[in-house]
Amino acid sequence: MIKEALVCLEGSPGSEAATRVAIGIAKDLQARLVGLAIVDEPDIRAGTPTGIGGSAFKHERDEALLADARLRAADALALFERRCREAGVTAKPLEVVGRPTASILTEMEARELTVIGRDANFRFETESDDAETREAILHRATRPVLLVPENAEGPLGKVVVVAYDGSKAAKRTIASFAASGLAASRSIHVATVDDSGERAWEMASVGVKLFVDAGVAAVPHNIVSALSNVEALFAFAREIKADLMVMGAFAHSRLAHLFHGSVTRGLVERTTIPIYLQH
Amino acid sequence: MNEIASVSQHLTPAWAVAPFVGYLLLIAILPLFAPRLWEHNRNKLILAVVAGVPAIVYLAGLRGAGVDQLLRTGCDYVSFMVLLGALFAISGGICLRGALIGTPIVNTLFLGAGAVLASVVGTTGASALLIRPLLRANAHRVRTTHIVVFFIFIVANAGGLLTPLGDPPLFLGFLRGVPFTWTLRLAPAWALVNGVLLALFAVFDQVAVVRDRGKPRPSRPSDPALEVGPLRLEGVINLLWLGGIVGVVFVAGLLGPRLARFTYLLPLIQVAGMALCAGLSWKTTPRDVRAVNRFSWAPMVEVAAVFLGVFITMIPALSYLEQRGASLGITRPAQFFWASGALSSVLDNAPTYLTFASLALGVADGGSGALSAAGIGALSAHPIGERLLAAVSCGAVMMGAVTYIGNGPNFMVKAIAEQHRVRTPSFFGYIAWSGLILLPLFALVARLFF
Repeated sequence: MIKEALVCLEGSPGSEAATRVAIGIAKDLQARLVGLAIVDEPDIRAGTPTGIGGSAFKHERDEALLADARLRAADALALFERRCREAGVTAKPLEVVGRPTASILTEMEARELTVIGRDANFRFETESDDAETREAILHRATRPVLLVPENAEGPLGKVVVVAYDGSKAAKRTIASFAASGLAASRSIHVATVDDSGERAWEMASVGVKLFVDAGVAAVPHNIVSALSNVEALFAFAREIKADLMVMGAFAHSRLAHLFHGSVTRGLVERTTIPIYLQH
Repeated sequence: MNEIASVSQHLTPAWAVAPFVGYLLLIAILPLFAPRLWEHNRNKLILAVVAGVPAIVYLAGLRGAGVDQLLRTGCDYVSFMVLLGALFAISGGICLRGALIGTPIVNTLFLGAGAVLASVVGTTGASALLIRPLLRANAHRVRTTHIVVFFIFIVANAGGLLTPLGDPPLFLGFLRGVPFTWTLRLAPAWALVNGVLLALFAVFDQVAVVRDRGKPRPSRPSDPALEVGPLRLEGVINLLWLGGIVGVVFVAGLLGPRLARFTYLLPLIQVAGMALCAGLSWKTTPRDVRAVNRFSWAPMVEVAAVFLGVFITMIPALSYLEQRGASLGITRPAQFFWASGALSSVLDNAPTYLTFASLALGVADGGSGALSAAGIGALSAHPIGERLLAAVSCGAVMMGAVTYIGNGPNFMVKAIAEQHRVRTPSFFGYIAWSGLILLPLFALVARLFF
C-alpha cells in the first residue's frame, strides 16, 4: 500500500497535472505526499569554455541563475503546500540541491511511488527541455513511477489498461501495482499485442493470473493489429476508455531499442493518460 | 618605434614555441575541465608566470637582445592593458536608458549603430553598452536567440574592424607600427560583412516576429526605472574622455616616427594620456550609472593576468615564425585569411593576429629578415605585406565570431543574455549558427578581397 508518494515539482503544466493526480491518490489511500523541488546547482556551475575575460561574467551569470532557481523551487513548493492543505492532504516540502536524475533516484528509494510530469524540465536554467532526465529515471528507477501528461485533468479514473509482454519488468510492475492499493475498485484490463491471437491470449491470461494471485480481479485481452504496438495499445485504451495505463518500462536492452524502437518511449511521448511504470 | 629587436637575429629553436602553444591550449580548456581552479584570478596569474618562465630563461640567455625585447614587450603589454582598461572604464560609465520597443527595424538599426560604435569604443565596450538595452527592448519577444547570435557576430566582432581601437589585435598591430588610419582600408570588407549580416538579421527578425504571434509573453526580469521615458544616454561626459583616448592614440601614431629614438617616451605618453582619460571618467561619472551597468574591474583583472602570460610566451614564438615563415606553406593572402581566422575562432584573436602577422613578415621578405627588423608596421607599407596584413586583420577580427571563445565579449554577451532569461545556443549549437551564416560570407570575402 502506498504510504508516501514523491511528487516532482518544477512549475511546468506537467508538474501541475502530477500534483493534481498525486493529491487524488493521497486522498484515496490516506497517503502522505512529499513535494520535491530541485536546484540544479551542478549543471548551472558546470565548466564551459569562456574565453579570456569570461570568468567574471560566468560567475555573475551562475549566481543569477542560481538565485532564480532557488526562487522557482521555493514558489513551486509553496504552491504545492497550499494545494495539499486545501485538499486536506498531509504534505512535506523538500528542496534538494543537486543533479536532477541523481536527486530523484535517491529520494524515490524511500517512497512507494514517484509522480512526475511528462514534460517536466528540472534543468530549466540550462536546457530548453529535459527528456534526458525523464528517460534516465525510467531506465534506472527501482521503484514505480507514475508519469502524468500535461493535459491530464483531475484524479485517476476507474479503467486501467495493463500492457503485458511477459517480461520481468512487466511482472514487477503488476506485482507493485497490485500491492499499491491503486488497483482497488478499478476495472483492470490486461492486454497483450501479438501477431498470433492465441499467443497473445495466453500471455494476457498469465498477466491476469498474476493479478488474481495478488487478490485483484482482471480481464485478459488479445490484440492482433496491423498497427505498431504503440498504436495498437493506444487504440485499445481509447476503445475501453482507459484512464490509466500500466506497463513495465524499457524491458529490452538499449541495443534492441536502437534497432527495433522502444514501445515505452513511444507510449510515454504520446500518451494522453497517466502511465504507471516500473523498470 | 617598435622595431623588432635583434632577438630575431638569433635562430629561435622550435622548443621555444612550446610554452606559447601550451599556454593557449590551457586557456582554452581549463575553464571547461577545471572551472573552480580557473575561477580565481590569482591562479590565472600563477599560470601566466609559470608559463612565461621558459621564455624568460630563453630571452635572458640572449643577453642584451633578449632583455631589450622583454622590456619592449613589457611596454606593449602596459600600453595594451591601459587602453583596454580605459575603454572598459569609459564605456562602463555610459548607460542607455528609456523606452525602446524591439521591432525588426529598430533592432536592425540598433545593431548597425553597434557595428559603427564597435570601431570607436572597441567591441567589448560597445557590447557592454548595448546588450542590456537591446535585451530589455526585446523582453516581450518569445524568439530572441537570433538577436543575441547576430549581436555577437556584428557588435562583438565584425564591427570592430575599422580602427585600432575596435579590437585588441588591431591595437597590437598599431603598437607594433601599423599606422592608425591603415585599418580604414578594410572598410569595403567591413561594409560587406556587416551589411550582409544586418540584411540577414532583418529577415530572421521579421520571421521571428511572425512566428511569435499568438504566443504568450515570456516571463523575463524587467526594471521599470530603466525602461520609462525617452531614449537617452547617461554618463555622456564619457564621450569626451573617449575622444581623449582616440586623440592620444592618433597623436601617438603621428609622433611615433619622430620619437622613435626615445625608446620608452612614446609608450609613456600613450599610457599617461589614456590613464588620465580613464581617471577623469571615473571621477566624473555618477555612481549609479556604473551600478546600472554592473560595472566591475574583475574582467580586466582576468584579462591582465592571462595576457601577461600571452605577451611573455609569444616573444620566442613570433621570432620563430618570422624566421621560418616562408617555409611553413602559408604564402597567399587567402591562406592567411583562413588560417588566422581558424585559429582566432578557437584561441583569442589577439595572439592569433600577432602570430600570423609575424608569419607574414617572414613570407613578405622571403625569409631575408629585411622586414622582420622593421616590425609588423613595415607590412603596411610593403606591396605584398600589405595584402597579407589585411588578410590577417580581417581573419583574426571577423572569425573571432565563430565560437564563444574567439573573442572576449562573445561569452560576456551570452552570460548577460542568460541572466535576462534569453536562451542562448550551447557551445556547439552556436558553432552551427556561425558555420551556416558566417562561413559562406567569409568565403565571399576571401574571394572578393584576397
